Amino acid sequence: MPETGELIQGTLEMLILKALQRGPLHGYSVAEWIQETSQQMLRVEEGALYPALHRMELRGLVKSKWGTSDNNRRAKFYTLTPEGQKRLDAESQRWARLSSAVAFVMQAT
Amino acid sequence: MTESMHEFFLRVKALFHKRRMDRDMTDELEFHQAMLQSKLLKQGRSQADADSATRRAFGDPSRWHERLRELWQFRSLENLGRDVSFSLRVLRKSPGFTAVALITLALGVGANTTVFSMINGLLLRPLPVPESDRLAVMGIDMGRPDINYSFSEPLFRGLEHRQEVFSDVFAFDHTTLQVRANSGNENESGQFVSGEFFGALKTAPLLGRALTPEDDRKGGDPTGFGVVISESFWQRWFNRAPNVIGQKLQIDNTAFTVVGVMPKAFIGADPLQRPDLFIPLATEPALNGLRSMTTVGVHAWWLTVMGRLQPGATIEQANAQVGSASNAVIHQVPSDTRWMAQMEKGHSHFVAENGAAGFTYVRLLFRKPLAAVFAMCAGILLLACLNLASLLMARGAARQNELATRLALGATRRRLVQQLLVESLLVSLMGTASGLAIAPLVSRSLAAILLGGQFEMHVDTSLDIRVFAFAAIAAIVATLIVGLVPALQATSGRLNDHIKGGQHTTQAHERRSMLPRIMMAGEVGLALLLVVGAGLLASSLVRLYTSGAGFDPNGIQNISFSMDKEPLKGEALMQFYRQLGDGLRRQPTVTSVSFARIIPFTHFLWDEDLSAAGKSQDTYHNSVGPNYFHTMSIPILAGRDFSWSDTPSTGLKILLNQTAAKLLFPDRSPIGQTVTKRSDDKAVNYEVVGIVGDAKYEDLRSPAPPTAYVAMSQDEDELGSSYNAVVRVSGPAGPLAEAARSLAKKLDSGIPAPLTTSMSATVDDSLSTERLMAMLSVFFAACALIVTAVGLYGTLAYATARRTSEIGIRMALGARRGQVVAMVFLQNASVALAGTAAGLIAALLASRALASFLYGTSARDPWVFAGSILMLALIASAASLLPALRSARINPMTAIRCE
Repeated sequence: MPETGELIQGTLEMLILKALQRGPLHGYSVAEWIQETSQQMLRVEEGALYPALHRMELRGLVKSKWGTSDNNRRAKFYTLTPEGQKRLDAESQRWARLSSAVAFVMQAT
Repeated sequence: MTESMHEFFLRVKALFHKRRMDRDMTDELEFHQAMLQSKLLKQGRSQADADSATRRAFGDPSRWHERLRELWQFRSLENLGRDVSFSLRVLRKSPGFTAVALITLALGVGANTTVFSMINGLLLRPLPVPESDRLAVMGIDMGRPDINYSFSEPLFRGLEHRQEVFSDVFAFDHTTLQVRANSGNENESGQFVSGEFFGALKTAPLLGRALTPEDDRKGGDPTGFGVVISESFWQRWFNRAPNVIGQKLQIDNTAFTVVGVMPKAFIGADPLQRPDLFIPLATEPALNGLRSMTTVGVHAWWLTVMGRLQPGATIEQANAQVGSASNAVIHQVPSDTRWMAQMEKGHSHFVAENGAAGFTYVRLLFRKPLAAVFAMCAGILLLACLNLASLLMARGAARQNELATRLALGATRRRLVQQLLVESLLVSLMGTASGLAIAPLVSRSLAAILLGGQFEMHVDTSLDIRVFAFAAIAAIVATLIVGLVPALQATSGRLNDHIKGGQHTTQAHERRSMLPRIMMAGEVGLALLLVVGAGLLASSLVRLYTSGAGFDPNGIQNISFSMDKEPLKGEALMQFYRQLGDGLRRQPTVTSVSFARIIPFTHFLWDEDLSAAGKSQDTYHNSVGPNYFHTMSIPILAGRDFSWSDTPSTGLKILLNQTAAKLLFPDRSPIGQTVTKRSDDKAVNYEVVGIVGDAKYEDLRSPAPPTAYVAMSQDEDELGSSYNAVVRVSGPAGPLAEAARSLAKKLDSGIPAPLTTSMSATVDDSLSTERLMAMLSVFFAACALIVTAVGLYGTLAYATARRTSEIGIRMALGARRGQVVAMVFLQNASVALAGTAAGLIAALLASRALASFLYGTSARDPWVFAGSILMLALIASAASLLPALRSARINPMTAIRCE
């Protein structure tokens, strides 16, 4: 793991949780949603997405269930658990504080 | 907390659904790829373009898979499994190394466990009685270097009822009892025990009752004396009949009633004895008659005294209490002025020590030798570990390319260390297991050698929790020493250089190879230490054997007759022995027969004060029959031997050995002179009729003491009527024991079967400690030499193998074979030299610890030191020369090409 992994991983998990807040999604849609919503500025690498999803599942932040996709294929859908919702709330607050703090610093004259 | 629990359960679930998990992962990734492709196609890209874009995004699917799967695994557990199977494969690929490693460790751990289980059986194992930790052993500090653990009967009786800190105080002593059977008397092992013996040991009898203070009174109870028998005696004599209680037994011609049977697990308070009969201490005067220790009073030190602490009392309180009670007890017992002066001189006082393991005097004899042997064992284990560590290190160096490759492929340093540790753990586990497997067998035979003649003793060397704990600690320490150093060593530094540099990175590994060389030097030093120790002990033993006993033990058989319980006296007794002697002389291989009260080297002592012409001398005594000196091959230097016609009525005669003659009659011939024996208030005069050569008495170590011999036909039977037949045979002694048995039975059916032992066995037994130490140390030294040779050879062979191309280049550039041999050889020679120097200094310092075990040998015997160094040098040279010679056979062309 590179040294910066912690931050990136934490941020990625927050983004995934945010994506799942709207309802069950499979991995592909999670990546697509983040990419679209960020105006193509954030691209989620597949190599990071799936380990993150599985890790979160192991920790109980998300649940998974096999279902059928729009195009009638077997797909694994991830759902937010109450734990995950709690984590998302905490992470968004932390993120809001952090980004405004960074903004204050950067706007200083 | 809950998160990790969740993780744990999911992982456990994953363990059982491996196949489904794998399929799901594949499905999930394929779904993603399909979605990505269809999106790209929708965007108007070509099929080939979409394919390659997907592949770029995903990379190798199997690596993906691996990463996801790892998430779901118990990583450490599965890695461990992989490490074990990998290590097994590595070990199997180098069977030579594995065998050496296993054998060295098995030896090291096995030897240590063996000796520890001896120490455990002798010193540590608690008595098999309830709350054994509440028992205390009492002794008397008489102002001498060693505490005296033997009590006289009056002293014990004085202590018995002063028991503020003790709930019970008891005494016991081991004895051999004659029990009347239909076919005659048989010897059985028994113990005199005082009244509170069974109360203190708290073991319930299997049948009937235990002995009580009521039994331990002169005269016993109205129904006679009570005896408690062991379960095995019950089995052998009564075939486990339930009506055994109340049965009569004739013990030493005295009627006893069986009152109880003790279970098999009960062995009394001496851990080495397995008594079959427990009889009240108060019966001792009746049973032993004239030889009674009780009657001798305060001058007979023979009882072991122990106690059970009151609930809540500590051993310190007990010690203080018996200490402060000493004066009162000592002044209260019936004694005489000589005894009182002796006690007061040393400010004698009682002491109490922890008695959880019971008490046996053997402990006092073997504590020091066992400690010395244990130190040797620890040395051998350390040596084995050092050897293995340096071998592993050398191998690690040879495997550096492999390790570097694995590091480059992404293995972490921790993983590599873990795998190498698993490798050494496997080796040491297997080594320890085989060591443990052989330990009980070896310790049984060790115990047999150590206890030698004391054939009635049993050391329980079976494995128990303490032995296992010890072996486990030994194994763990061994593993850590063996494994950690080389593992860290092999993975330290910039391994990447090794891939790049291959064999050429000499600079880096020169420095790194210092550690294995220091370890090898340490090993050589340790080996020298062990060899010197073995040399000293062995040459001391040889000197003991060749020092000469003053008589010729080879071909002498001693047959001991227990006659003390027979009514024969005086002339009739002599008649019996003469008939016995005549009968024995008629046996085929017998050349000479005589009798003696005391057989040399059997730890029996009889001394008297003799005086002549104003000189008084403490002189060792023996009472012998005619022809004794001829039979024993002791020369008669002047005068004559005894004959059967020397009777009490013909005037008392005495023979002196040279030393006694010189001390008593320094200036004239003693023949015809008178010597006076003084005991208490009696004086008896003897006429000296002969002078004989000096013969050793107590043991081979002590020089022949001044000794006087009196004629058995003039002996006053004060010391009982048991004599030993001393028989010289030429050739095998086989049928002699049987002949003696049938002769004795024919003459008197009441005599228990006589016991035949060879004099050379008696000599061996009297040297059991020395023999054991010498044998073990020679064995350990031989092992140390072999192990060191293997280590020197192994490390050098590995090191040379790595220098193959360097040597090839040197030879290509013109180095001669001799130069190459010298170069490789000197690499080890310096190690061996440094180790020898260190070992020599250590040996000079440590050998002093052996001084007390040595006979006629200086702890710095130059011959032993020189011989040890020479032997080590020879073996080290041989071990180093092989790889050196092999390196000289290197073909420069192939060596350089093989890079």
